[in-house]
Amino acid sequence: MMPTSTRGLLGHFCTPDEALAAAARVRDAGYRHFDFLTPFPVHGMEEAMGQKRSWIPWVTGVLAICGILFALGLQYWAMVFDWPLNHGGKPFNAWPAFIPITFEAMVFWAALGSAVVAVIAGKRDTIPQPPPLLVETGATVDRFVLWISATDPRWEPAEVEAFVRSLGANGVRFVDVSGGNDA
Amino acid sequence: MSPWATVQDDSQLTGRPLVVPGAGPYGGDLEIPEPLVTGGKKWADVDRDICMHAERFPTRRWWLAFGVALALLGVLVVSLAVLIYSGMGVVGVNHPVGWGTFIINFVFWIGIGHAGTLISAVLYLFRQPWRTGINRAAEAMTIFAVACAGIFPIIHLGRAWFAYWLVPYPNARGPLWVNFTSPLAWDIFAISTYALVSIAFWYLGLLPDLATVRDRATHPWRRRLYNALSFGWTGSQRMWRHYEAAYMILAGLATPLVFSVHTIVSFDFATSVMPGWHTTIFPPYFVIGAIFSGFAMVITLMTFMRGYFGMKNYITTNHMEAMAKILMFTGMMVGFAYTTEFFMAWYSGSEWEGFVFKNRAFGPYGWAYAIMFTCNAIVPQLFWWKKLRRHTWVLFTVSILVNVGMWFERYVIVVTSLHRDYLPSSWGMYSLTFWDYSILIGSFGLFFTLFLLFVRVLPVVAISEVKGVMDPRVARSAPTDSGAAAVTAGAAPGA
Repeated sequence: MMPTSTRGLLGHFCTPDEALAAAARVRDAGYRHFDFLTPFPVHGMEEAMGQKRSWIPWVTGVLAICGILFALGLQYWAMVFDWPLNHGGKPFNAWPAFIPITFEAMVFWAALGSAVVAVIAGKRDTIPQPPPLLVETGATVDRFVLWISATDPRWEPAEVEAFVRSLGANGVRFVDVSGGNDA
Repeated sequence: MSPWATVQDDSQLTGRPLVVPGAGPYGGDLEIPEPLVTGGKKWADVDRDICMHAERFPTRRWWLAFGVALALLGVLVVSLAVLIYSGMGVVGVNHPVGWGTFIINFVFWIGIGHAGTLISAVLYLFRQPWRTGINRAAEAMTIFAVACAGIFPIIHLGRAWFAYWLVPYPNARGPLWVNFTSPLAWDIFAISTYALVSIAFWYLGLLPDLATVRDRATHPWRRRLYNALSFGWTGSQRMWRHYEAAYMILAGLATPLVFSVHTIVSFDFATSVMPGWHTTIFPPYFVIGAIFSGFAMVITLMTFMRGYFGMKNYITTNHMEAMAKILMFTGMMVGFAYTTEFFMAWYSGSEWEGFVFKNRAFGPYGWAYAIMFTCNAIVPQLFWWKKLRRHTWVLFTVSILVNVGMWFERYVIVVTSLHRDYLPSSWGMYSLTFWDYSILIGSFGLFFTLFLLFVRVLPVVAISEVKGVMDPRVARSAPTDSGAAAVTAGAAPGA
């Protein structure tokens, strides 16, 4: 469901270190519906924002096992049951010779699956009111933009603004965009 | 301020760190490496410098290069048409050398691709920050090289229109499956997995940069296009979290994948019973040769990117030197493998092995062996000298010679083992015809056409990764409280 308007507060920082320190203070102040837009990944940001580790590795693990089982199953079934051929008296279930394809299938499922799931997860793992995509914030250029959504339980405009200013943020302003998260 | 604020230009780099005596841990020396991006660039400058090539009309130089590449691509198309129409007779493959030009070129191009994965995945896992300047173009090179490689085995089938028979799927030809225990079937899985995973890895790396291109776009349709291509990337930490995890995982998976691919390619040879092919050294020998040849191609391409695209501040002499070191190291490993093969041929006591290697080095194809050994094992020894590692023309010349040498390596492996096998009455010679040459030259046309299109539409350097290795003290924007207006100026195209 697309909200009819996106309200919140923006403020930006100029270096990753400032952004990290600010994120930790926003977290400690008890805000939950906040996010950082950064031009490149900032190491330590997950901890500073109080996020858990990504669960993508579990997806990779499950898909890798699926790939192994699929490839072994297909080869075993085709070479032993569906079309057994006698190659120089060798066993039909020549499992060592099935390993290369099994390995490739594992990588195929795990890698492509993880990439697709990570992109979808990144889009879906969000706060009730994600930051609007505003070009002028420069979040893909050189700004580390803090966004606190108006949906946050602690939202109190004057208090939030004073707090964000106290973090040393630049360009602090309220945002009210109709049409939700759009370019 | 950064101690390197004075390094304004690529030519000022020395390749040596700044040593501060006594400033390091436990009272030791502190070594501060030289910056990876020179020219005192800011983060906003990176966007402009790198996106610029995709945002303006192509230059005359680009059209010239593209024209040549397209003409060569035309040569490929005509050659393939003639090959398919007339049949395999037009090329030199015949009894006893049934694996000629197609297998040579296939292994050559697949090998080229391996350096891209090495740079993007292996150097990522080893935390080598200099990879950021070259990984995007190297990964693109991988994909385009695999595209070139893919043509050859399909043509080699003889009846290329039945290529889909290689794929196992339930079919109406009876219960008819590919032979899963054949290295040729392994190849299908290895190459197609390699191609698709390389594309996924490359595209994942592109997402944040496509968003950067989108945010710089002035035309609404360009903006919409790049927004769709970046899947609406915002740079939210909640996106980065999963993105970073997936990127690490793909690097971890691509690393064993790249080793497996050339291992399986070498199995095509090693599982046969031909003397000179049936050896356990083949997998590591092929993998290291692939990385060696790929790095040579990366150096060739990066020389052009530095010269013609003005990327010297991002792909510095230090980057080139690092690649020269890898080239020399892998060149020595390749030379070691060549020598080990001879030792094993003698040590095995096998008459056939011994003959094949004597014939390889001193027989009728001794000239090809000499080219191979000189270009691959001897020429890279120049890089013991720092001055030569940092010399553009020396690097470029060596990279070309290595490419030539590695093509001849595959020529030597394929041809010398086949042309004189167990039965002297079946011996013969192999020579390339006009169409062998045209298909090889034409494959370069495909490669360069794709590469030139790539530099026109996508960021050729991984913007978000380069920003991450820049010194924030130099690269940051000026703090301002006026918000929107000041930032817009930095983000405007051509600012």
